[in-house]
Amino acid sequence: MKTLRLIAAAAVAFALAAASPARADEKVLGKVTKIEMSGKDAKVATATLQDEAGKSVVITVEDKVTLDKFADKRITPGDEIKCKYVVKDGKNVATFFKKPGGCS
Amino acid sequence: MRTLVLAALAAAPLAAAPAAPPKPALPPPPAEHQGRDYIKENGYQGPKTCEVCHEGTARKFLDTVHWKHASKVTNVEGVDPKREWGMKNRSYTFCNANDIVNNLKEIPANEKGKSKIVGCNSCHPGNHLSDVGSTGPEAEAAVDCLICHASSYDYSKRKAFKTADGQVAMGQDRSVEAALTVGKPTVKACMTCHEAAGGGPLVKRGFAFDAEHDVHAAKGMVCVDCHGAKDHKVPTGFDPNNWANDGLRLSCAGCHGEKPHGDPDYDRHTAVLACQTCHITTTGGAVAKDFTSWTKLETGFYEPSTIKRAAADNRPAYAWFSGEVVNTPHLIGPKGKRGDGKSKIFPFKVYEGHAYFDRTTGKLLLMDFAQPTATGDTKAGVASAAKTLGLKNVDPVPGWQTIYFANSHLVTRTKALTCDRCHSATGVLDFQALGYSKAEIEKRGLRGAGLWFDKLLKKEQGKDE
Repeated sequence: MKTLRLIAAAAVAFALAAASPARADEKVLGKVTKIEMSGKDAKVATATLQDEAGKSVVITVEDKVTLDKFADKRITPGDEIKCKYVVKDGKNVATFFKKPGGCS
Repeated sequence: MRTLVLAALAAAPLAAAPAAPPKPALPPPPAEHQGRDYIKENGYQGPKTCEVCHEGTARKFLDTVHWKHASKVTNVEGVDPKREWGMKNRSYTFCNANDIVNNLKEIPANEKGKSKIVGCNSCHPGNHLSDVGSTGPEAEAAVDCLICHASSYDYSKRKAFKTADGQVAMGQDRSVEAALTVGKPTVKACMTCHEAAGGGPLVKRGFAFDAEHDVHAAKGMVCVDCHGAKDHKVPTGFDPNNWANDGLRLSCAGCHGEKPHGDPDYDRHTAVLACQTCHITTTGGAVAKDFTSWTKLETGFYEPSTIKRAAADNRPAYAWFSGEVVNTPHLIGPKGKRGDGKSKIFPFKVYEGHAYFDRTTGKLLLMDFAQPTATGDTKAGVASAAKTLGLKNVDPVPGWQTIYFANSHLVTRTKALTCDRCHSATGVLDFQALGYSKAEIEKRGLRGAGLWFDKLLKKEQGKDE
């Protein structure tokens, strides 16, 4: 009986986990090598980041604050960026895209 | 009407004592800068071009807090009122550095071999070759007018670099494209520096000036609608931690008057409460930092260990404030008390800073960030700053300092404190700590619903009708 209860509890836990996967954000620290934006008022842009190992990741940026920084070039190729993103419909969509902290 | 509404709050506390006079209505500025054609024909050469019409402006600008990062300060205890004080030379634990000890420079390489050019004066609107407080023709020519006045400034040009002779200079966007977009400073122009101060976005003051967080921003107002400059001297309110000022003060009453509510019960409160106390119920930003032990980042650099909250994600503390400031090694805060005839109760953002103090003198020691940013060695930073300041035999010991910041943005009308939020058993104001005796609180029912129930009920019922 106890074994049956355990199996049932495990099955419920598995089902819940599968139904709402709590996927952690991916992280990357890298230099911007390219920014593509269709205009100053664009609602979306892509930025390519190259990490310290030389691997490139293309990030889709949708938040207004970061787009604004692309538009007036507060973020440009060569800047180091700390980025978190989620994979959505095959795209790496940024949830955090900023120059690393510290007084500057 | 708009002009009248404008001057109000954004800034610093409603100066309790010296209330600013109402602003006269000004004519609206021209929609388009009248010098466009001149700039198109002649190009843009910095202040030299601006001075064709705005003669003498660059020279006057050199005498402002934005250029000097300092001014004479008459409301802070323990500082010489004949000298100038500000981020140029102050010591306090929010930054633990200033323009002098943490001058813009290339720091040593970190363990990953990375270096960078950083310093407190990276926001100074010059080119660093003419630095904070510099004077004369070279300084006048170095003013970056467009960093504040161009709505289309290319920030990639405003980066520090080394000149051929090895000096550190700050670049500027002096393009015709930028010059053709001049006008009054936008919110972004102000916030590019003022939001990033003290270690990152919204760390220091912790307010976001946007429609979500501030009623003035929601109405389309910009910073300079309240902080409207005269000869580039910018009015500010009184703030225990913001000493430098251009000698111009502003207050909510400047636009809203002393009795703005149309309700005698609320209006009566303005004799003892600053407007901010009810109309700014939140605060944000860093609540504590440790400058004695820095945190290593993924970049290989270090930064002061910081605990921070999002904008509007914290609650203010309340205290009487006359505009005078307590300034000791372990407390920078408001002076004032009930019944002194000049104080009101204000809300404050309270911050705790951990830093080194000199064992012998008890004074706060400053830090050059170059060494700790590269290696995490905070005592090397203290030694470097002491050397710059000519201090000998400093003996650093860790200690804490509490700082009260004015809480003057994040203004709300609809979520302002109502009677029940203060006058109840769990109200936000600690009447005893604010100088009210137990007997008086009891007698006047300051913590009871009897004070307000009928009034609020009538209001609530009025809403339903």
